[in-house]
Amino acid sequence: MGFLDIDNTTKSYGAVEVLHKVDISVEEGEFLVLVGPSGCGKSTLLNMIAGLEEITSGEIRIKDQVMNGVHPSKRNIAMVFQSYALYPNMTVGQNITFGLEMHGVPKPEREKAMHEVAALLQIDKLLDRKPGALSGGQRQRVAMGRALVRNPDVFLFDEPLSNLDAKLRVDMRTEIKKLHQNLGTTIVYVTHDQIEALTLSTRIAVMNGGYVQQLGTPQEIYDKPANIFVATFMGSPAMNVIPAKVEIENGRPVACVALHDGTVTTLPFSQDNMAEWQGKDILLGVRPETITDEDAADRKSKNIAHLTNRVVVTEPAGSDTFVSMTLGNRDVIARMRSDAEVRPGADFTFAVNMEKAVAFDPATEKRIPA
Amino acid sequence: MSVASQDTAIRTGRVTRMLIYLVLLLFVLFYMLPLYVMLVNSVKPLNEITGGGMMNLPQVFTLEPWAKAWSSAQIGVEPTGLRPYFWNSISMVVPAVAISTVLGALNGYVLTKWRFKYDTILFGLMLFACFIPFQIVLIPMARMLGLMGMAGSVWGLVLVHVVYGIGFTTLYFRNYYAVFPTELVRAAQIDGAGFFQIFWRILLPSSGPIAVVSIIWQFTNIWNDFLFGASFAGPTSQPMTVALNNLVQSSTGVKEYNVHFAGAILAALPTLLVYIVAGRYFVRGLMSGSVKG
Amino acid sequence: MASNAHADFRSRLQVWLPKLVLSPSLAMVLVFVYGFIIFSVYLSFTDSRLLPSYGWVGWENYSKLWRLSHWEISLTNMGVFAVLYIGICSILGLGLAIFLDQKIRGEGFIRTIYLYPMALSFIVTGTAWKWFLDPGIGLENVMQSWGWTGFEFDWIKNRDFAIYTVVLAAVWQTSGFVMAMFLAGLRGIDNEMLKAAQMDGASNWNLYRRIIIPQLRPAFLSAFVILSHLAIKTFDLVIALTGGGPGRATELPATFMYSYTFTRNQMGIGAASAVIMLMTIAAIMIPYLYAELREKK
Repeated sequence: MGFLDIDNTTKSYGAVEVLHKVDISVEEGEFLVLVGPSGCGKSTLLNMIAGLEEITSGEIRIKDQVMNGVHPSKRNIAMVFQSYALYPNMTVGQNITFGLEMHGVPKPEREKAMHEVAALLQIDKLLDRKPGALSGGQRQRVAMGRALVRNPDVFLFDEPLSNLDAKLRVDMRTEIKKLHQNLGTTIVYVTHDQIEALTLSTRIAVMNGGYVQQLGTPQEIYDKPANIFVATFMGSPAMNVIPAKVEIENGRPVACVALHDGTVTTLPFSQDNMAEWQGKDILLGVRPETITDEDAADRKSKNIAHLTNRVVVTEPAGSDTFVSMTLGNRDVIARMRSDAEVRPGADFTFAVNMEKAVAFDPATEKRIPA
Repeated sequence: MSVASQDTAIRTGRVTRMLIYLVLLLFVLFYMLPLYVMLVNSVKPLNEITGGGMMNLPQVFTLEPWAKAWSSAQIGVEPTGLRPYFWNSISMVVPAVAISTVLGALNGYVLTKWRFKYDTILFGLMLFACFIPFQIVLIPMARMLGLMGMAGSVWGLVLVHVVYGIGFTTLYFRNYYAVFPTELVRAAQIDGAGFFQIFWRILLPSSGPIAVVSIIWQFTNIWNDFLFGASFAGPTSQPMTVALNNLVQSSTGVKEYNVHFAGAILAALPTLLVYIVAGRYFVRGLMSGSVKG
Repeated sequence: MASNAHADFRSRLQVWLPKLVLSPSLAMVLVFVYGFIIFSVYLSFTDSRLLPSYGWVGWENYSKLWRLSHWEISLTNMGVFAVLYIGICSILGLGLAIFLDQKIRGEGFIRTIYLYPMALSFIVTGTAWKWFLDPGIGLENVMQSWGWTGFEFDWIKNRDFAIYTVVLAAVWQTSGFVMAMFLAGLRGIDNEMLKAAQMDGASNWNLYRRIIIPQLRPAFLSAFVILSHLAIKTFDLVIALTGGGPGRATELPATFMYSYTFTRNQMGIGAASAVIMLMTIAAIMIPYLYAELREKK
């Protein structure tokens, strides 16, 4: 039993099931991020935890209390909305204390709680203003203050940073993370931004098409994606997925990959069990940062493979240079240091860290476990 | 007015522009003509009108027709003037407008923020009710008012106007609340506010403009109604429009055109005032009754 | 619902409250609109005269109705009135809207004047036009007193022309509103597209004919629906302007229904005529409302 249990929960609209048997158990103090493309069901799931949408089947429990059919205000949760949902006709102070007022908390206590939260979020000077007079970042803080003041069991965040500009988003991200570390609250956070998911969470549920594709720590999700969807959704630029054939060379399994001119090169696997796939096609998953020049190759790796291939385009991006080439008839991106001497149209020898490479079954698109 | 004043990219030549202004001016005269006729003839003695001077400014200025229309003209059998009927209209319009607007606001709130299966169909049923030819309900309504003991009373008319007005008021509030952020309602739900608290504390404070639209529309419609007034009002509850028609159509005695014109202006004055003061909202109401969304 | 057992009373009340709040309005509409419609339809099949009575006569009222020359005149008048009223209002409304959309000085003032008739009661409008068009004291008399002694304008007293005076007054009352609808449509058209068309060398005439007016289709549709429903419902204006006369020259279905039901004590026939009016409006309004409400989803 966790702190927040989502137990075999489904959601249907009429005959259409939009969320299929979701099963997640969240421990106290955890920061769970639900991430996925729009329409994957992540917001629906969050709304079901909040009590804003009915649960079709299964159970949601908070502290072992079944929440099905319980009014949102009786679940001891708080929510920060994408639009912040600040009441336009009330001042910041009234916005923050509205929930306490509705729960019959006496005024002196409300005032005290409000000032504490305002101090914590550094919005004490804004308490008498109306939301219309605030900047995006300030509204964001007020929305968080409104959630914090209730001292709830679970915080729910619905894409809270998506309305902020890029710079502010990064600042607020750090701030939410600090808040979580200092207060140790339990958080469920919905986003479509995989970087937010990776940076904030203690655990991630990657969702697509109403299914949880993978549930795990950020590291697990990044290094051992359960399937091609997770592999390509998490990480930017996306993981390269290259069609390859498994052969045995010098007693070890290798991936045979076509270069730009059709000649085949081999990349030795680190996983011994890939030998079982001898003669079969697979999809090789290689993250861009594991394809580098020789000098930048990971020295701790015991399996660096080399391949020489024609460079198609180079895209300098300040700290890195992205280099694209054709491998297995696909565009493949390598992430190089900015000082790497790469010219478009010329051949270049790349170092591939095969220790980090993963393989997928092309039929099921699932990762072949090591 | 509510029409957005964005400039067109179209450019026109000098002569064309002159012609356009000329046409626009001609139509200004056309639209002003009846008002001019009513105004000038309501302040001149009758013989100036019958002598072919309808279009002339008054030679002798008199407020006598106004006084007569207001307090002593023969309406039906009583020489009461329009005054009692004016008050009939007021006491009918005020409650009818208030009740239909409150109901419309609540309906709009439910239909947008508490959606349920078939809610659009129910709304469609309410909306269609605005457009039916009211002849279809005249006979049963007369019976029903009789059964309810409200026949010939002001309250009967109030009921009638509420029933056939809520379609429009619901339409206004529904369209207005449809673009009101639902997240605010959800946030208030999580904060523990109930159905009526959310309405009262969150939606209503932002509903000023649409409430004005609804009130003005209902006021104009109900004030100007003739069919229901003529069908259901008793001698002591007739609204202004019915009384004006009686005054003008009465076939006894000399036709006092100047009194008729003064009476017509009196009947038009309240809605005209509303239009002049809050025309923007009036047009908005008109438009959302036709071009929705 | 998996387990409602945990739902407390307040939560359940909150679920029902919205429907509870909607129900009085809904009940009123169901009884006073749809119930009454059914009742009227029923009456149209009975021998009701002065008061509702419940002797079933089948289609008799309808066949009587269609044999009445009075009804035939009403329908013919309706046809003439509707075609002219809708046509003139649309053309005038569109023309004035286009003219007003040329960066006109004092546009707000002009708009206010074009639209004020919409705020008036048809009884007021009828009264004003009735006396203005009256040959005895109105336009004809004025012209003659100004020296044009041969001037004649007696349409309102002339059986063949009286219906056109109804059209005139009705157009005066609503054309400004139609203008506002078209103006809103014009203002909704993307200016960049017009600039692009101008760069393509389109003249103003072509700009309107080929690009702008075709895009006003929704406004045309709305105008048509609103005007046709107003036309069918026209009642007060005729009562105030001509009283249906001279003779029956300006009778419309709405006045026909009223006089058969309440002054001629032929309630069954009156109800039958009301049913026909309803059917006509329903044929126009239902598809329109259906389309409007569907788009919203």
